[in-house]
Amino acid sequence: MQALRLARQTTKINPLRVRALATAAPSVGTASGSNSQTTASVIPLSNVEAQWEKMSGDEQLAVHQQLEAIQKKDWKELSIDEKKAAYYVAFGPHGPRAPISPPGSGVKILFGTAAIVVTSSLLYWGLRQMTVSPPKTMTREWQEKSNERAKELKLDPISGISSEGYSGKGFVQSK
Amino acid sequence: MLSTALRARPVALRNTPVLIRNSSSAHGQETFESFSERYVDFFKNAQDLFEVQRGLNNCFAHDLVPAPAVCEAAIRAARRVDDYATAVRVFEGIKEKVENQKQYQAYLEELKPVREELGIQIKEELYTS
Repeated sequence: MQALRLARQTTKINPLRVRALATAAPSVGTASGSNSQTTASVIPLSNVEAQWEKMSGDEQLAVHQQLEAIQKKDWKELSIDEKKAAYYVAFGPHGPRAPISPPGSGVKILFGTAAIVVTSSLLYWGLRQMTVSPPKTMTREWQEKSNERAKELKLDPISGISSEGYSGKGFVQSK
Repeated sequence: MLSTALRARPVALRNTPVLIRNSSSAHGQETFESFSERYVDFFKNAQDLFEVQRGLNNCFAHDLVPAPAVCEAAIRAARRVDDYATAVRVFEGIKEKVENQKQYQAYLEELKPVREELGIQIKEELYTS
């Protein structure tokens, strides 16, 4: 019996709670609705392009709703600002249509690449200046003398430098 | 008698329809006219913004510039679903698809009555005036 009473009590309490929630919900809804209306009147459509990125989700929603209402009118009556705002919100360069690199980065990339190329060529030239000079055998004169010496000693007499009718360069490789 | 029968057989086989094989190039090709007609119908029956934009995506995805009739139907569909931005975007799509500036101008001329009737300004006009 007690259990039944308890159950009844709980069933009595529950509708009250539900009703309280139900009454609370519309008031919240109206509050947010009035909020969105106030924000909508605060945001001028002429400035949507500048402000869009900084707007909160609620403000963006308000602008969306405002534009939706505006676009239901005859399009000839729309001002250029309203048209621009409608176009910007739908297809402007924000969100997935935002450009990958900010404007002016092309010049930056060009100058950066040029600077790297110039630096590396200077480094190459500078390091070449600091190296030791090439060996004394790497001159044409030395190599011609080497050829003479090779022929004197009859080096490689069948197919090489000392053979008959040899027309190759022998040891000469420097200019 | 027998030899003639034997000789006749391959000829008969060759003529049977079973051996005729359709090559893969025999698929039906849609003509430009039927394509235009199909999309004009589509835009006339499009009910909401999503459908209009889906149709635009599809008809601008082909290797052709949609006919002015299709563009007009698309713009009128955008008017019906009350979306100004999509109407402007149609002209941007045309600009992207045509080969040169002259063709774009021809399209603009062709669609001028619709633009004036509905009060549509193309993107260039919006951002220069």
